[in-house]
Amino acid sequence: MGRLVFSSVSRKFNNFQALLDVNFEVENGEFVCLLGPSGCGKTTILRLAAGLVAPDEGIISLDGKKIDGVNKECGFVFQEYALFPWRTVKENIEFGPQVKGMTKTECESISKHYIDLVGLNGFENHYPNELSGGMKQRVGIARAYANNPKLLLMDEPFGALDAQTRNLMQGELLRIWETEHISVLFVTHSVDEAVYLGDRVIVMSARPGKVKDIFDVKLTRPRIRTGPEANIIRDSVLKSLSTQIKLASHEYI
Amino acid sequence: MKFETGKRGLLINILSLIVFTLVWQILVILARNDIFNIPFIRLRDIPTPVETWYALAGSMFTRIYGPSFTYGIINHVYASLVRVIEGGIIAFIIGVPVGIGVGYSKFLGNLFNPIIEIVRNMPPMAWIPLSVFIFVSGGSIFIVFIGVVFPIILNTIQGVKSTDTRLIDAAKTLGASESMIVKKVVIPSALPSIMTGLRIGLGVGWMAIVAAEMVIKSPVGLGYFIWNMGDLGRYSEMVAGMIVIGVIGYIMNISILLLQRRYINWVD
Repeated sequence: MGRLVFSSVSRKFNNFQALLDVNFEVENGEFVCLLGPSGCGKTTILRLAAGLVAPDEGIISLDGKKIDGVNKECGFVFQEYALFPWRTVKENIEFGPQVKGMTKTECESISKHYIDLVGLNGFENHYPNELSGGMKQRVGIARAYANNPKLLLMDEPFGALDAQTRNLMQGELLRIWETEHISVLFVTHSVDEAVYLGDRVIVMSARPGKVKDIFDVKLTRPRIRTGPEANIIRDSVLKSLSTQIKLASHEYI
Repeated sequence: MKFETGKRGLLINILSLIVFTLVWQILVILARNDIFNIPFIRLRDIPTPVETWYALAGSMFTRIYGPSFTYGIINHVYASLVRVIEGGIIAFIIGVPVGIGVGYSKFLGNLFNPIIEIVRNMPPMAWIPLSVFIFVSGGSIFIVFIGVVFPIILNTIQGVKSTDTRLIDAAKTLGASESMIVKKVVIPSALPSIMTGLRIGLGVGWMAIVAAEMVIKSPVGLGYFIWNMGDLGRYSEMVAGMIVIGVIGYIMNISILLLQRRYINWVD
């Protein structure tokens, strides 16, 4: 459950080729990080996987089913949280179950479970504007999980957080993921983050966006951020990425 | 705009009212004693604040003058307020759905926008002559409706259009249907704008009702009252009526602001 496949996917926006012949898969229960220079179509990949946009060419499938229209079996976690500001923490988490027509008691037991899981006890009735960035993203993760997805799509979820909170949240995300094991496709700008979190790291090239390299990160968790093996992988990922960034910035100049 | 708040702010507020009243009193007294006058203005004919106060107190409740009687200001306030509330409710019931439809659907937008854009530029007062002969009764309520409905429609459209697209995406991936998105994302997100529209609209409606009551004949209403008092040469009562109009408009505005702050407390 939760095997995402991109085969020969291309997508244009007006005359801009955002993605060209993208091929990769996220195996069942795997944590895959997507790295690449700005404008390489990382977010487009997530939006395609969520069915929020359709590919021009190629096929995207989840567990063998072609994604056609909004993919309701995925959970999307946004960079700027995208919480409903008029809903409390609890009500935000209950949104998915509610629109699915679950009863009040079912919704409450689900929200209680995920509030416990992400560690937001005592904040059930707070509004998003009363929470810190890290706490907002805990709500974002809980809201995505509460919909019981097969696949979690995360668009630079910790990009807006300070370094300390970011490290803490990475650990928290892994803890949650180890409890409720589903596939994750995680977009980030940070090589450190990708190597710390991912089972595999996909490096993209820009203009048009393509898969350039795929790195296996065969390190046991919990990982040591500054361990020698991690450093070796980080080094090769950085090299792969830096040529891309140079290329991309040349085009801008 | 930034205002002083707290005790100091309140003190300055009160002080400004006192100074205004004093200046008013002094100018009228000076004019009446031929000491100072502003050219081309008959300042001496303006009632002083003190006279206005007595006129207000004296005409607050219904009085009988010989064989005839006049309604008290209270009755006029009540009549005008009821019209504004009735017109406001109708405008809200019609304006909010229209605003949501036009703001959310491109088709409805293209369909209604030309009409809205032209009709909203006709001031409520321009409708008074028409409403005098097409409405058997309730013409002034219609004038209020015209005044309130456009601010509501325009602010609702603006609120709907400024809905964060990421929130709509989030709702979609959480399984919400199109109608769920409108109900659970677009409307709540537009609510602060809708309330602003209502607040501005009622302000316009309140001004419109006073104008309408001057023209559309009816024995009660604040517009009728100040017009009638002016006709009778009872200027103190007339000015008292004007001040009542201002104070009530202010109270309406503040009440909606407070409601907004109390119930829409999630806005950043």
